[in-house]
Amino acid sequence: MMRHILCFGNPLHGDDGFGPAVYRRLAQLPLADGVRLFDAGTPGLAALALFQECCEAVVVDALAPAGQPGRLVELPPEAIPLEQAAAGHGYGVGYLLAALAVLPEPAPAVRIVAAEAAVIEPYRPGLSEPVAAAVERAVALLSIYFAPQHHE
Amino acid sequence: MARVELNLNLNRVEGDLEIAVVLEDGVVAEARTVGTLYRGFEQIMLGRAPRDGLVITPRVCGICGTAHLYASVLALEQIWQLPVPPNAVRIRNLCLIAEGIQNDLRQTFLFFTPDFCNPRYRDRPWFDELMARFEPFRGSVYRQTLAQSRQAVEIVAQFGGQWPHSSYMLPGGVTTPPDLRRILACRSVLDDIQRWYEQVIVGAGLDEWLALDNADAYFGWLETPAHADSALGLLSRSARSLGLHAMAAGTPHMLSFGAWCDPQQASGRLLPGGFYDGDSATLSSFDQQLVNEHVRHSWFRPYPGGRHPLNGETVPDFQPNSDRYTWAKAPRYGDKAVQTGPLAELMIGGDALIRSLHAAEGGNAWLRQFARVRRIGYELACARRMLDELSAAIGQPHILNPAKSAEIDGEGFGLIMAARGALGHWLKIKDGAIAQYQIVTPTAWNASPRDSNGLPGHWEQSLVGVAVQDPDDPIEIGHIIRSHDPCLVCTVHMLDSGKRLRFAP
Repeated sequence: MMRHILCFGNPLHGDDGFGPAVYRRLAQLPLADGVRLFDAGTPGLAALALFQECCEAVVVDALAPAGQPGRLVELPPEAIPLEQAAAGHGYGVGYLLAALAVLPEPAPAVRIVAAEAAVIEPYRPGLSEPVAAAVERAVALLSIYFAPQHHE
Repeated sequence: MARVELNLNLNRVEGDLEIAVVLEDGVVAEARTVGTLYRGFEQIMLGRAPRDGLVITPRVCGICGTAHLYASVLALEQIWQLPVPPNAVRIRNLCLIAEGIQNDLRQTFLFFTPDFCNPRYRDRPWFDELMARFEPFRGSVYRQTLAQSRQAVEIVAQFGGQWPHSSYMLPGGVTTPPDLRRILACRSVLDDIQRWYEQVIVGAGLDEWLALDNADAYFGWLETPAHADSALGLLSRSARSLGLHAMAAGTPHMLSFGAWCDPQQASGRLLPGGFYDGDSATLSSFDQQLVNEHVRHSWFRPYPGGRHPLNGETVPDFQPNSDRYTWAKAPRYGDKAVQTGPLAELMIGGDALIRSLHAAEGGNAWLRQFARVRRIGYELACARRMLDELSAAIGQPHILNPAKSAEIDGEGFGLIMAARGALGHWLKIKDGAIAQYQIVTPTAWNASPRDSNGLPGHWEQSLVGVAVQDPDDPIEIGHIIRSHDPCLVCTVHMLDSGKRLRFAP
């Protein structure tokens, strides 16, 4: 069975670009066997397909600001509440996880790696310093999904 | 973003649309649809290679990218006068239908019916039954819709490699031929959806359901357990008991470009299009020359009156503190504000039941939603026909690649029925590059602002006169806006109450 790494977020909106930044780093590394890497973007319900045909899904995403910008945490899926956003495009990861849980087939094990945002500003590309620093820590945390690198 | 603390006002969606209404003594006196996001695809296209539209315009929408791809390729084929092999048309139709089924199911059972699970309705006789079916994440139909709608778009992935935002249609055909494996995979998806649609959604076989041809027969059928207990029966009973069949008609005029190209003659349509004049109750053929877009109340560089898309422009010009209030233009057909969508598609296309219901009760919020669910029946029947024809013609060409010399300068348009209604791309090619690109979406027609003559758009008209019981929970407006299948996330701002307040964007 495959394992999927799904990097969510929108690089146009400040620290919401954490997931895409992690993706760009991971995309340079050789994947271990049985691992697939996705730049999941902000797709709404279409992302359900990314949780199919795998036994484990690792969600990489930004967390809302809460006073400790750049803090890297691992969360169980139960910790992610349903968004208050309206129906439709507003569906985020919280909605996806809730939907996943009620689909007929068994859901993959979900692991969430998230960095706390300093600030989310619409249409202001670029990560804050603490969140940019968290990118490498996330890459290190996810190194088990990558083939060992041989340094000359 | 996973929001552990829900203190962000940034939706994943950038909150693209607001409805501002003015209440007078609890009744909507006027409404404005405010598109809060400038898109700019028309400007992005300028100066690019003509085929770039096939990659860029499917990104206009995460729900209906196939329709944009289809409109874009039809426009190029018109300009370059290219023949399209029947198998390519069949595959295009099949994928468009899959996208449509996805939209119609999600819109109905993930967006429209959850609003009926409001505690305000807990004393209604249908409430417990409705919660058992429609409650988000718990109701049986809600859960099944998540699974079925995800499956539907696998058909697009069979031929397009991915969904959404796929680019598998090319001038002269499609990139992937039909083969037995793909046809069987598509058939298996459709069989599953059809069985579920028959047993759970309408409570009848597809043929029997589509043969139902008049309002009396339908209301009689609504009394039988098989249909009354089905998801659509429950939707009809609850929506009608709330009076949604007697409100929110909006503009009486309707527009359809005709659904699904005819494989034997790509300019023909399997379900005919046209213009329905709601004043005279007459149908006429559609004349694209009559399409024109106004910007009098929009944040674009001003020009007088309306302009045909081939002479149009989309130059942003934000003018706060004026009487302009949206990033959407106001498309008009002649001087008429029109509505488009499944109701227009089936009315104009000739569905006897929809015509009879419309004749009996006029346009209304329930009928719009009902038509969307009925259209799924047409989609399933047409998809099956496309697969049967593909099976019989495996090995026939799927693309006729044009010679480079065919890619001449010129102007043209591609018109298609997307899930939400009439979608058109108009473009000009000059010196081998795009010199003009105008996209008129279904939501631009439906959610248009006032035009140069002050005439409000369809949604704006549909809200006027609606009584709102609780301005803090304006659920009536929610039902109506949802029945329109809003493309954009929709928040409702209420300006209250008792006396008239001025609207200020």
